[in-house]
Amino acid sequence: MSSSRRRITDEEINELISKLQTLLPESRRRNIGRASASKLLKETCSYIKSLHQEVDDLSDRLSDLIATMDSNSPQAEIIRSLLRS
Amino acid sequence: MAISNSEGFFAAKERERKRKRSAEVRPSPSKWRTEREQKLYSSKLLEALRRVRRPAPADPPRSRAVREAADRVLAVAARGRTRWSRTILSSRILKLKPRKRRPAGAVRPKKPLASAAEMKRSPLLQRKARVLGLLVPGCRKLSLPTLLGEAADYIPALEMQVRVMSALAEMLSSSGSGAPPSDRLGSSQPV
Repeated sequence: MSSSRRRITDEEINELISKLQTLLPESRRRNIGRASASKLLKETCSYIKSLHQEVDDLSDRLSDLIATMDSNSPQAEIIRSLLRS
Repeated sequence: MAISNSEGFFAAKERERKRKRSAEVRPSPSKWRTEREQKLYSSKLLEALRRVRRPAPADPPRSRAVREAADRVLAVAARGRTRWSRTILSSRILKLKPRKRRPAGAVRPKKPLASAAEMKRSPLLQRKARVLGLLVPGCRKLSLPTLLGEAADYIPALEMQVRVMSALAEMLSSSGSGAPPSDRLGSSQPV
């Protein structure tokens, strides 16, 4: 499809940039203010990295916790019923 | 919160899905913030986690197994509509089936820098866009608009993953100590 080869207009870039801005949470948006595309991209990358790090830390924590879940089936039942409600 | 009219709900989702397929429109990223999606993810994640603990409990990479299970369940929740989710799922399965190419919009350059011609000229921007492409699974060679579209879905999905895993960790740790677990999975927590 030839349309995928056309050059991206500045307007489209600006649209994408404002879209990018909405992805960031309030706390990070405040730090940038009137951001350039470059700053926004950098902040987005930093945000994704921090999310990955959080998930890794939580995986660590959960891997310890599910060990205790093993020996305690009444609690597993409680958790499951909470999730179902 | 029970879904009262599930048939009507699924029929509506089916119509919506068909409409979206014909219009080549992306699913709304805000679905990751709905209570329903969070509850679905929580229960599926819990089931996956229970399967994780069966092999050797003292196995050091268990947190790795947890991370992979969490990512896999998240990718399944995306229902194959985004590139990042398809990448996560196909990296787990043996490559017996040929991977389906996205029909339109995805740039297929021969060299990684070929798509740079389509990006804004500034090399600084290109470099940062490349970093972003490396962070979102399977998006290394995408053009900037497509990449941003993927990121726009990936970020809210990650945020939901963090919310759910935190709440699950809270529940498991509080129930372990004997205190009554608080149900926080239903509420959307600020990230």
